[in-house]
Amino acid sequence: MRFFKPVLAALLLACSALAFAHQFHVAYTDISFNERTGSLEVVHTLHTDDVDALLANLYQRQFDLTRPEDEAVLRKYVEQGFWIAGAGGKRLPLHWVGLTVGPETVVVYQEIENTPLSQAAVIHQGVLSDFLADQTNTVNINENGAVRTLSFNRQTVEKAVR
Amino acid sequence: MARRRLLAGLTGALLAQFAHADDDILQRVLVQGSRASQLGVADTASAGYVSQKQLEALTAYRPGELLEATPGLIVSQHSGEGKANQFYLRGFNLDHGTDLRTTVDDMPVNQRSHAHGQGWTDLNFLIPELAARLDYKKGPYSAQEGDFASAGTAAVTYSNRLPQNLATVSLGQNGYARTALAGTVDQGGGAWLYALEALHNDGPFVHPDDYQKLNGVLRYSQGYANNGVAITAMAYRGTWNATDQVPRRAVDDGALGRFDTVDPSDGGNAKRYSLSGVWRRTSSDASSKVSAYLIRNQLDLYSNFTYFLDDPVNGDQFSQPDRRVTGGANASHTWHAHPGGRESDFSIGLQLQNDNIFNGLYNTRARQRLSATRVDHVVESSAGLFVENHTRWSNWLRSTAGVRVDAYRFKVDSDLAANSGTATSRLASPSLSLAFGPWRQTDLYVNLGNGFHSNDARGVLTTVDPKTGDAATPVPGLVRSHGLELGVRSEIVPNLQTAVSLYRLDFDSELTFVGDAGTTEAGRPSRRTGVEVSNYYKPLKWLTIDADVAFARARYRDAAAEGERIPGAVEGVGQLALTVDAIGPWSGSLRLRYFGPRPLIEDDSVRSRATTTITGRLAYRIARDLKIELEGFNLTNRRDSAIDYLYESRLKNETAAVTDIHFHPIEARSARLTLIKNW
Repeated sequence: MRFFKPVLAALLLACSALAFAHQFHVAYTDISFNERTGSLEVVHTLHTDDVDALLANLYQRQFDLTRPEDEAVLRKYVEQGFWIAGAGGKRLPLHWVGLTVGPETVVVYQEIENTPLSQAAVIHQGVLSDFLADQTNTVNINENGAVRTLSFNRQTVEKAVR
Repeated sequence: MARRRLLAGLTGALLAQFAHADDDILQRVLVQGSRASQLGVADTASAGYVSQKQLEALTAYRPGELLEATPGLIVSQHSGEGKANQFYLRGFNLDHGTDLRTTVDDMPVNQRSHAHGQGWTDLNFLIPELAARLDYKKGPYSAQEGDFASAGTAAVTYSNRLPQNLATVSLGQNGYARTALAGTVDQGGGAWLYALEALHNDGPFVHPDDYQKLNGVLRYSQGYANNGVAITAMAYRGTWNATDQVPRRAVDDGALGRFDTVDPSDGGNAKRYSLSGVWRRTSSDASSKVSAYLIRNQLDLYSNFTYFLDDPVNGDQFSQPDRRVTGGANASHTWHAHPGGRESDFSIGLQLQNDNIFNGLYNTRARQRLSATRVDHVVESSAGLFVENHTRWSNWLRSTAGVRVDAYRFKVDSDLAANSGTATSRLASPSLSLAFGPWRQTDLYVNLGNGFHSNDARGVLTTVDPKTGDAATPVPGLVRSHGLELGVRSEIVPNLQTAVSLYRLDFDSELTFVGDAGTTEAGRPSRRTGVEVSNYYKPLKWLTIDADVAFARARYRDAAAEGERIPGAVEGVGQLALTVDAIGPWSGSLRLRYFGPRPLIEDDSVRSRATTTITGRLAYRIARDLKIELEGFNLTNRRDSAIDYLYESRLKNETAAVTDIHFHPIEARSARLTLIKNW
């Protein structure tokens, strides 16, 4: 858990800062390298309400994200809106691992196999900000225990990792 | 990944602290399979919505039956398949949709001053695969709903995109065949939605319906539904033969079979083309919506209900051609404010509609015109303006108060000068709803409202009966209704959504069907009192039980020697449906539908029998993208009626008129097999 303490601290800080500003729409993405598996892991935490509204306004229908065919609908959207590119601008192969859904949050798991964080040069994070004008996406990058935070919104959907 | 999940869980718990439902303006749906709760949201116990998954699970013999997902609503067919359906709701025999306002993507489906029946609702252009949701309201409690909305409203929304493309082929008994192709193509930041449908059905009739349908939809949308634009073109055409109602006496003595016809040349053809668009903008403090439509409808309808009563030589067949262009626009704006910490929405809206109609009533023989009873050119224009405020006063009290004002102009150019002219009519309709709760997962509602329906423009300006030459009294242009309702909605029992409504609805004038003229006419004032109970129970993720019952007492309010019962008014309606979803590759449903006896005459001396059907569906997923479905209709093969009328008729071999029950049978037991391929 050594790596995650700074992440947790950053999250706590961010959450408490926003706790009184619930009119803002926020989502969190955590990116870190798993030494055991050699994979770059990406975890998005989205509000269930926001995902509800997003899919309803795209498809006008109700989805049950615990069903594979409905999960595929959100997968298509997330994969269009979030990616990581290497130094040459080429997108790294981001695999869909799965998601969990609860009454408050939808958590999406992705990973890039056999890839250290050093290969990630650019992050594109446009999830939900195309739908909600005031959406802020916070991306926490955990590199060797040091956490850096990048902030994205509708105007800024792409940033360099370093 | 496990640690990541733990971390994400912590993040989620923190996020949950400030997760807030601040998106009242946005349409909210659930991401967990069960139907979204209406507690703390709905204005009445009798309003709700039906999700795409529920609509998909419904076994429908014909597309109009999708509306039966509305608790207490019965949809049947009393003639050839291409004709508008027959609707029953809240103690009404709504004929072809009078007093049930139906829309598809904000386009009105009811046709006013229609040749055959006021509010004619032909839903044969509906493509079930595109229906993403159905929203319903019962009673006149919303300022946003205008003409024909007194018994209720049903609004179908088509998808802008389909999650998966699909191709389907169905084959069934009685000449049933259907194929449909639908999908989405993303292009240029927008999405093209397309759907094509072809259908043939003969039905169980001795003289086959030979119903042939071609149907298509093309839509381009950009952005999201709440912040975007969509333009849609639709085209439908259908031709059919009709087996109209047959006299019981001829069936009883063996002269006619139940599925026989008296006049095999009855039938019709219909065309509908529309172009519509919608634009919406939504922000955290306001939302705007503008929609516009242009609809071309064409109908040729040939009916013979009395056989040889009026004309023993040529027979009584008549035709009711109706050709119209309907244009309209709806615009609304909502401000979302927080005065004094309360949530308050204030909405204002304008609804404009114009109908340019050429219709008539002709005597025909085997679809050949013999003479004209009346020929009319009707221009009917209306403007409706509404304001409505929805305020959440505290965590246990919310109110919706509104008023709408409608102005109508009826212009009729008839072949009889005495029946030509212009008339105007105006009406203000206030409404108020109070909702208390939720306490212990329970909401209480009090609703007061006023609604209306317009009368046929021809009736508004008719001073001489074109058939008899007698003087006729013009009817008022707009007829008011008053509604009162008490309701409870509860989810106190886990996984069970229950709603109970107790209502009263008064009409200043009842629209009743006149069998021998094939029209509806403005009649006596009426009162309906009733109770509705609807239950949606999802005890397990794979099992849903719907159980709805409704009782209504319908009476005329004035004294008359003929009696006080309203012919055709349905008294009891019920359904019990079991839906099983995704037990491995299997899914299915079984549904019992009951609509009870109806008085057929004002003195209640003759009554129809109840109609009960059981339908079922069994589906098997062969592969992730391939499914096969078997549907069964009228599984117990009941010999019930879709409609019963009591009136005089005369068969060719009869020397005098006979008053008798005339009925149209429900479909015999039949099955359909469907293959659905997704990609």
